[in-house]
Amino acid sequence: MNPFEIKDCALLTRTSGLPAAVNLRELRDRVASCHPDVLFHHFCETPLVPSFDYPDYRNDFAVWAKWRLGDQVLAERLGMIDPYSLPTLEDLRAATLEVIDDRLSEVAMIPWARPGQEFHFMQAITIVFDTGERIAHPDELVSAVSRMTNSSIYFHVLEARRRDPVGVDDFSAWLKGCDGQWGHYIRALESIDVTFFTLSELREKLIAVLTRAKDLGPKGGRP
Amino acid sequence: MNHSLGAYEPIVGQAVIRQLRTLGEKFKGLHVLHVNSTSEGGGVAEILTWMVPLMRELGIEAEWKVIRGTPAFFSVTKAIHNGLQGKPVSLSRKEWETYFAVNAENCHELRESLERAELVVIHDPQPAPLLALCANRKGKWIWRAHIDISRPARPVWKNLRDIVEQADASIFSMARFAQPLPHPQFVIAPSIDPLSEKNMDLPDKELEEVRERFGLAPDRPLLVQISRFDRFKDPVGVIQAYRLVKKVLPVQLVLAGGGATDDPEGSEILDEVKEAAGEDPDAHVLLLPADAHRTINALQRLADIIIQKSTREGFGLTVTEGLWKGKPVIGGDVGGIHLQIANNYTGYLVNTPEGAAHGIRFLLHHRDRMAQMGVTAKEFVRANFLLTRHLRDYLTLMAWLLWGDDRHTIMV
Repeated sequence: MNPFEIKDCALLTRTSGLPAAVNLRELRDRVASCHPDVLFHHFCETPLVPSFDYPDYRNDFAVWAKWRLGDQVLAERLGMIDPYSLPTLEDLRAATLEVIDDRLSEVAMIPWARPGQEFHFMQAITIVFDTGERIAHPDELVSAVSRMTNSSIYFHVLEARRRDPVGVDDFSAWLKGCDGQWGHYIRALESIDVTFFTLSELREKLIAVLTRAKDLGPKGGRP
Repeated sequence: MNHSLGAYEPIVGQAVIRQLRTLGEKFKGLHVLHVNSTSEGGGVAEILTWMVPLMRELGIEAEWKVIRGTPAFFSVTKAIHNGLQGKPVSLSRKEWETYFAVNAENCHELRESLERAELVVIHDPQPAPLLALCANRKGKWIWRAHIDISRPARPVWKNLRDIVEQADASIFSMARFAQPLPHPQFVIAPSIDPLSEKNMDLPDKELEEVRERFGLAPDRPLLVQISRFDRFKDPVGVIQAYRLVKKVLPVQLVLAGGGATDDPEGSEILDEVKEAAGEDPDAHVLLLPADAHRTINALQRLADIIIQKSTREGFGLTVTEGLWKGKPVIGGDVGGIHLQIANNYTGYLVNTPEGAAHGIRFLLHHRDRMAQMGVTAKEFVRANFLLTRHLRDYLTLMAWLLWGDDRHTIMV
């Protein structure tokens, strides 16, 4: 059994070079043409960017639609786009444009933001480094997760879903490659709706479901 | 007093410290030079006071140099500072020459360090001409703008842009502060040191001593704004807000700030503020020495509500300090204050003295809400705006400078 290598990461946020969007039409145009890293940043990297802890929605476009455009309908629809359920970032772009185009066809006036409340298109560079720590056995997962940083949780649980194998977190991918019966841990990991937690909450959730899976063992029910 | 990284472990947790040490390993021996224009007073000097020793603890060869200037130079740089923050200012050719001449002298004095450093961080506009003056630079040079230059006075920005374009990258505190430049622009929020004299826990006895020293009544709510005496901090607007509240509630106000060696306008504004406060015994205008950190800390802890009613703001570290002390903050709806105050969660964003007065009155009538906001505020700062996050951002920037290219993910 190869040990699991615990990695950690840090984001370096940078401007994308795109002009800020003042209204929904401009948002649409920039979303249509921006680099995929920009979409990835505003949909997936938000948990690592300093921001208020209790946002209404988990992507920046939905938050902007609510607070700066004042368009609750658009915010609700954008807020339900799950970036991890779509296979590629181009699919994510298409889904986002579909929602915005629908809304543009419904409204009589283009929603706009006040000066100073424009949407700034950002992207990030992710620096990944080896912590030197290893998980030798699946039963050590719980204690390892409890010691991990928020950014390490992000890298192995969220960011992993966009890497090969797409849609799978690193722990599950490792467990599938290990000898033995580790399906109970994999089912436990699958049971978490990862997009609706802050990283601290996600760690606690991981600890809870993995502990329960460990206690119940391979023949236990779904957590 | 500087602390080792380990001293922050009880505050941020073991994992965060371990992460910094692991990442720091990659940069052992790297020569990093920070250059700014004052060794005390203001947020930049405070950040460098902790950052340089912590970088050294990680094995980075970190240096901090302060440029020297004349009163004429600092008058020019203050005008540039104001212009960058949007105040219409016009600088004569002679004033620009003064700006460059003083920097040329400093470049000569600092040449050895400037040329040897693998990473040079030039903080704010005062030492920016070094970017153009140091011909034999070998390392990467970064321009770090700590102020809001989202809507600069164009004549000032036009001249400065020609200089800062020569950096390899620039850093802004918020995305909206960035200006089009021909190099990568990064966004790094500043931070506070929770163990510094300005932010550490203080014994009750010391708080009472400060309360007595300034004649503050223990049984009446206290409003505190800590900041330089600067028009962009709107101290007169704070007095107006206080007066509106005092009509219905028996409040006290402290407006306290220190001077900074690179801010020649301070005394003029202080006179204006004293005049606005008049003979009101409950309006305390305090000019504190630059090293009165514990006094400032005590005043913030004695406060019921912290105010930072700026009309322009870079980031607003005094807001961060107030939140860290578990206080709701009423702040101007500008700049980095946006990042820190969420209405009804950590305080209120306001645009006018009336808005500030409304927020103050609401909070003083809802003490339970204030306490809840205080808890939220402290945890928010712990997660986002302490020096450990800031140090990690710099280490990440170093990684990009050494190994970065157009890839999204860089393994180091």
